[in-house]
Amino acid sequence: MSYLELHDVSKTYGDGIAQVHALQGVALSVDAGSLVAVMGASGSGKSTLLTIAGSLEDPTRGEVFVDGRPLSTLSRNGKARLRRQSIGYVFQDYNLLAGLSALENVSLPLELDGVAARKAQGVALEALEDFGLTDRASHFPDQLSGGERQRVAIARAVVGGRRLLLADEPSGALDSTNAEAVMRQILAACHRGMAAVVVTHDAQLASWADRVVFLRDGRIVDQTMPAQRPEAFLADLPNA
Amino acid sequence: MSVGVLERPGTTGAPEPSGGVPARRAMVRWAWRLFRREWRQQLLILLLVVVAVAAVVVGSAVATNTPPPAGAGFGTAHDLATFNLSTPTAKSPSRSPAAVERQIALLRRRFGTVQVIENETLTVPGSTQTYQLRSQDPRGPYGGPMLQLLSGRSPRGPKEIAVTPGLASELNLQVGDTWSQGGKTVVGIVQNPQNLLDDFALVPPGQLQHPSQVTVLFDAPDSALKTLPAGLNVATVATAANHNLINPSTIVLALATVGMLLIALVSIGGFTVLAQRRLRALGMLESMGATDRNVRLVLEANGVIVGAVGALAGFAVGLAAWLAYRPYNEQSAHHLIAVFALPWKVIVPAMVLAVVATFFAAGYPARAVTRVPVVVALAGRPAPPRQIHRSLLPGVIALVLGFVFFSLSGAQRNGGGATWLIPGFVALVAGIILVSPFFLVLLARIGRRSPVAVRLPLRDMARYRARSGSALSAISVGVLIAVVVCAVAVARYSNAFDYVGPNLAPNELAVYTPPTGPTFGPSGESRPATPAPSVSSQQDTARAIASSVGARDVYALESPAAGLQNPSGSGRQWSGQIYVATPALLRAYGIDPSSIPSDVDVLSSRPGLAGSGVQLTYGGGIGGNGGGGSSLGPGGPGGPGGQGGTNPCPPGSCLAHPVVQAESRLPSGTSAPNTVITESALRRLHVAADSSLQGWMVEGANPITSAQITNARSVAASNDLSIESKNEAPASAEIVDWATVFAIALALGILAMSVGLLRSETASDLRTLTAAGASSRTRRSLTAVTAGGLAFLGALLGAVAAYVGLVGWYRSNPLEGGLSDLFDHVPWTNLFLIVIAMPLVAVLVGWVLAGRDPSGIATRPME
Repeated sequence: MSYLELHDVSKTYGDGIAQVHALQGVALSVDAGSLVAVMGASGSGKSTLLTIAGSLEDPTRGEVFVDGRPLSTLSRNGKARLRRQSIGYVFQDYNLLAGLSALENVSLPLELDGVAARKAQGVALEALEDFGLTDRASHFPDQLSGGERQRVAIARAVVGGRRLLLADEPSGALDSTNAEAVMRQILAACHRGMAAVVVTHDAQLASWADRVVFLRDGRIVDQTMPAQRPEAFLADLPNA
Repeated sequence: MSVGVLERPGTTGAPEPSGGVPARRAMVRWAWRLFRREWRQQLLILLLVVVAVAAVVVGSAVATNTPPPAGAGFGTAHDLATFNLSTPTAKSPSRSPAAVERQIALLRRRFGTVQVIENETLTVPGSTQTYQLRSQDPRGPYGGPMLQLLSGRSPRGPKEIAVTPGLASELNLQVGDTWSQGGKTVVGIVQNPQNLLDDFALVPPGQLQHPSQVTVLFDAPDSALKTLPAGLNVATVATAANHNLINPSTIVLALATVGMLLIALVSIGGFTVLAQRRLRALGMLESMGATDRNVRLVLEANGVIVGAVGALAGFAVGLAAWLAYRPYNEQSAHHLIAVFALPWKVIVPAMVLAVVATFFAAGYPARAVTRVPVVVALAGRPAPPRQIHRSLLPGVIALVLGFVFFSLSGAQRNGGGATWLIPGFVALVAGIILVSPFFLVLLARIGRRSPVAVRLPLRDMARYRARSGSALSAISVGVLIAVVVCAVAVARYSNAFDYVGPNLAPNELAVYTPPTGPTFGPSGESRPATPAPSVSSQQDTARAIASSVGARDVYALESPAAGLQNPSGSGRQWSGQIYVATPALLRAYGIDPSSIPSDVDVLSSRPGLAGSGVQLTYGGGIGGNGGGGSSLGPGGPGGPGGQGGTNPCPPGSCLAHPVVQAESRLPSGTSAPNTVITESALRRLHVAADSSLQGWMVEGANPITSAQITNARSVAASNDLSIESKNEAPASAEIVDWATVFAIALALGILAMSVGLLRSETASDLRTLTAAGASSRTRRSLTAVTAGGLAFLGALLGAVAAYVGLVGWYRSNPLEGGLSDLFDHVPWTNLFLIVIAMPLVAVLVGWVLAGRDPSGIATRPME
């Protein structure tokens, strides 16, 4: 069953001669448990696709469904609640909140959703444990390495039973070892039932996806199934 | 390694759109962490709040503790009855001891517990100074706060006495010595903590043979007081307290409110920059599902934290300063002040105001941030400035309202309508805030054809009005206050009839002869009638005083049987003393008596008196407010005429058009002979023989010291004379200059804080300009024009708004001389300093301090 569906989604910025068509008639569906990679040149609309799918922006035309709910019917607060409960973001530059420790960063979405701090931090600690970051829980972002920061960001994106993971160049600022580790964690999340959309420039990493979508000038120009998935990487994943 | 999608724990209570208490706690926690991490960026705002609250604590403590306590003289009682057994006064007619005993018995019967304190006036041997021999029970039910044992013990028997430190010094007594006037042994040193000037000798109750005054302390219900026999002189703490709304606490609170408003205006810029710096993090927060309310809460909580920390730190600093200053305040106030006798009703609201001010200052950019699209926020790009076509109309309406309120205030109770003055100020401030954005845009339009180094900062100020507008408003409000003070002080001090200013120069001392009959002395104190010493003896005393202060000159002050009056019955009437222009007096001020034309009636240093239409009354027609034989001392209030119309000027006792000659060599002090009537005029009017000796003016070569004044007072008292020395009243120039300094310092301070914020908004432009080859001269110009433009516009707006209010006030004020009083005495120099010189200084400072190469040419500094 599709967890994320985009129906004929278009996005236009600006007016007149300054008008830019970031997305044009994009249709995409992502099933629960599957990983979709989005590739394309700069300015092709990859990030716009992600922000519209995650309710951060409204499409100019078309409709987005998350877990069967049309986003256009949701209020601003309704979208915020949807993001708190169902959608996790991972960005290239981590975007951890500097004033909060790793544990507090991970527990924040739960607290925003009304979960008591103690309970939320208990769950967050379990998430950090899963990512091998228990000993870094009390560290602040500026005390963590790049790889650790991104793992914390992914932990924050998946904590609390979220079902949709949206990652914009999650390994863009990492070395190859850390990049693979990050992709491995995203794949693991998909194996637990999350639907994931990952924007990447790296064909090697895109090859791990169930499907690769190519964007050019705001249109989907191609979709492929990678010929060879790196099964070796998946061997040690739980429930793989 | 395993990665689990962990199950969501249950929420507390019913789910709220904004996450309820846990979400709010998380936001406040993050705000607190941000405050701790980024306190340096908030240091300026924090310091402003600390200084403002500390100033309120010290200022209000000094202002409220300097006057005597409201209950001074009452002890712990609520009511006080006084019985005069010697000299009768209007409020306390003389009574026989038996009658007083009956009255005390009546009070005891009606109200139960009473405490009787008896006083007998004694004279210090070899002096005219007096003190009280007091009979008071140290353990009495009410008098405890009025008696404190400093050393030794309280007197217990008829042979024991205790004295105050001042009296002990005067009589050269110590514990164990014998008090020569009654043969009693001094067993202790005591004082009245509520009045350290209260010199007395204490004996046990019932030891006074001939009390001159009896005080009875008691507690009575208000309703019961009305049933007391007529003629009983009863006062209550409430009636003794000052009921004036404009008391020190109110003034300090009003100043604190204005101060916090300025802080709020300045802080808006600071919080806007902080919000900009946190834009990406706030975007991240929103991407995680934070609502607008959550995001606003982060910034508002930050504002509250800054305000609360600043208020607490300010209170601590203020308390420390107060504790350090309190002993000096006790000395100058002449009563003991408890350590924590702080006006909490002022301090607590001021602290709350500080928090409210920063809350609102942070709330403004908080609302702006929530309007930034999440994607834009995540990218860390500032939202493009929105084109706002804000109408000038609301601001103009507010200014008109300010004008109307000031007019109503001026028309009320002879210009004393504080009720309308406060909304008037509020309306003017609101008007300034509302018109500021319009003028920023106007300034940018005016400068659109100027070179890029001028055009760009002017345009930036108009584009980023959240910051420049608040800074502009803050400068304008400061200038508004300063210009109002300057203009009112200059106009008020220039009133030729009710001349205001310091009484004497620091090197002058006036020695006054005793008045005839029971009356009031120069400073208003009541003085008993005593046989007048001979004039030659008084003159010798005056010369002795002159000699003791190293005077170069001493001359007699003669009071003519003539006076001056305002021809108009409305407005301020004549006040002040008039003297005879004796040759000695004129020569003392370097005026050759023969140089005065014989037709001149009056010589005066009062500005504008010559052309004021003043009338000269003489003989039986001396105006009620005139000098002459009037018993009003120097500086006595002339007060408003109030009757309207014109003052009568009957021929034969009034000269409608006397010849008045301006004479700048006469002194300017209000108690000094600033206005004199020529001897030729007195001869013409046939009142030359009626002049009377008023005293002597002593002029020292140097300022007279306080020790010399104390000695002179003692010498004068020995011959029943009194002296007047320079008081603390400020000169017009002092008030106006300090107001100007205040406006300039405030404006430059605000500019120092806000120009950096404004330029940081456009730091990328600066980098681009540098990369494009702009020299340090261009960079200097950007900062200098920003500072100068804001300073000039702020000063101009503030000055114009001030005159809008003042025109309303003066045009409707029956006490002042109408608009001419305002516009004839414009403080041009000070306005020039504020409106022209201050912006030039801002330009100069901006130019000097700018010009450093930007830290990163191509990149944004990492957060």
